[in-house]
Amino acid sequence: MNLETILALTGRGLRTGRLSLVALVAAIAGFTFVQPVVIASFGGAAALDALISRIPPAFQAFARTRPEFLAMTGLPGYLSLGFTHPIYIVLSGAAVISYAARVLAGEMASGAIQLPLSRPVSRPAVYLANVLGIVVVVALAAAAGPFGMLIGIWYARPGEFSISHLWPMTILCFALLWAIAGLSLLLSSAANNAGQVVGWALGLLLFSYFVDYFAGVWDPLRAILFLSLFEYFTPTQTLVNGVADARSTGILLLAGSVALAAGLGIFTRRDLPG
Amino acid sequence: MPGFRHAPRTFWCYAGDVDAIVIDRLTKRFGAITALDAVSLHVPEGETYGFLGPNGAGKTTAIRSLLGFVRPTSGACQIFGHDCWTDGVRARRGLGFLVASSTLYPDMTGGDFLDYAARLTQQPTPLRATLLERFEVGEAALQRKVGGYSKGTKQKLALVACLQSDPKLVILDEPTDGLDPLMQRAFEAVVALLRERGATVFMSSHDLGEVERVCQRVAIVRDGTVVAEATIDDLTARRQRMIEVTFTGQAPDWPRVPSVRLVERGGNRLVISARSNSRDVLAALAAREDVTDILVTRPSLEQIFHEYYTSPDDSEPTGR
Repeated sequence: MNLETILALTGRGLRTGRLSLVALVAAIAGFTFVQPVVIASFGGAAALDALISRIPPAFQAFARTRPEFLAMTGLPGYLSLGFTHPIYIVLSGAAVISYAARVLAGEMASGAIQLPLSRPVSRPAVYLANVLGIVVVVALAAAAGPFGMLIGIWYARPGEFSISHLWPMTILCFALLWAIAGLSLLLSSAANNAGQVVGWALGLLLFSYFVDYFAGVWDPLRAILFLSLFEYFTPTQTLVNGVADARSTGILLLAGSVALAAGLGIFTRRDLPG
Repeated sequence: MPGFRHAPRTFWCYAGDVDAIVIDRLTKRFGAITALDAVSLHVPEGETYGFLGPNGAGKTTAIRSLLGFVRPTSGACQIFGHDCWTDGVRARRGLGFLVASSTLYPDMTGGDFLDYAARLTQQPTPLRATLLERFEVGEAALQRKVGGYSKGTKQKLALVACLQSDPKLVILDEPTDGLDPLMQRAFEAVVALLRERGATVFMSSHDLGEVERVCQRVAIVRDGTVVAEATIDDLTARRQRMIEVTFTGQAPDWPRVPSVRLVERGGNRLVISARSNSRDVLAALAAREDVTDILVTRPSLEQIFHEYYTSPDDSEPTGR
């Protein structure tokens, strides 16, 4: 494998979608920037406690904002809600899913992948180039959330919070997005066009999210809770304790890596679509 | 043409007596559909080979098999002795493939695209300047984004990207699609020069006149099988010739003779078709005193191709 060729392919993949990637990363940072600003605008975590205690208990359960939970976790607990919010999940998921869909399935559908594969470039080299691109995209998307929150805390000063806790949060976000990206590239290596990948990956993400969400209120779902990526995504504990849970982080990283390896196996054996 | 005809070829070294392309009983099925059915053919190094067939005949699948885009169901294909599926990287070293113009990246400039293609090929580009000149692609066009190109200019850029590294083997799928007649002639001149440099050219085309002008040998594919393979000269020599005879008076009735068929009779003119070996027919005509003119027309590749797609007689022996 020629490193220069691999880097050329990686650069090409990143340049093609750079505008949408920059927009999504900015949106992620903007969304998490808003969290501390909103908390500060209500008067800080203590004022929010009083407000949330007036919400009916059923809604509190749905929103996972029960007063005893928030009294225990304080400001980090409120801040962590930004990372479990559907908007954050959709923006982050869109960044990695769209990239993974475009660089393999999208290029197979358009025929653009024929250019490298008609040269002395192996399929594993093309795949590795795309994995390197995935690393860059996941790193940017994972860093954007904590970075936006850091700026928001600095700007709004919602209360006492150790900003060093945002480092493990970045690692946990990276692990979650790595798992999503790995599954997306696996789907991309098997699909014939980018639309299929986006559909399948969003389906998996929604399934994962709602299993995790409703398992708290519907016991039968607990049996399959281990299948949900969000079971291992624990921003509250991470922001409160300042440490990313090693087991959860490891499972997410392993899931992404196994999916990437499976994608390599499929991509190197399959027929390219005509 | 500085730097083209006499530039030394320094970056390939293949053992002699190895065919550029060997396809051996290649079968490819897509589910219940058999795209290729035990296709075999050889293309010697240095030959310009035409691969003919309508859409769906299997020629694109054969090309995709050679490039390692699809895995053979059975059989194999090799480029310079390297299996296209299991040893694809070596097989594609020294290969130039013309990608479809619609697959070029629209956000790249023409110049950036050529540089990118060269980096993937991992070879110098000794022919780039010459090809750009031949295809009349100027510096201004190279500075523009590919997305703003016409279809013809995209095709020319794709051709330059394919040939700029002076490939040992060139595979072209519909190479002149989108080119105007002048550029088609320029393409034919480029193929001729590549041939002078010893390159092997394997091309599919719907333009049978172009194939007849450019190629030395052709294969005609139908329903996933090769129904004829021969040099252009052999193929035309073996097929029917049209003989137009002019008489001094009314054209006579033509007696029923094996291998000769009456096509048209009217006034003093008679048109018959005959097998190429019908020397007796010509001798009999020449002996008649009322014959004033005999015009023998060799069938064009287009007529031959048409015959293979309309006649149930597929038993023509292949030329190899």
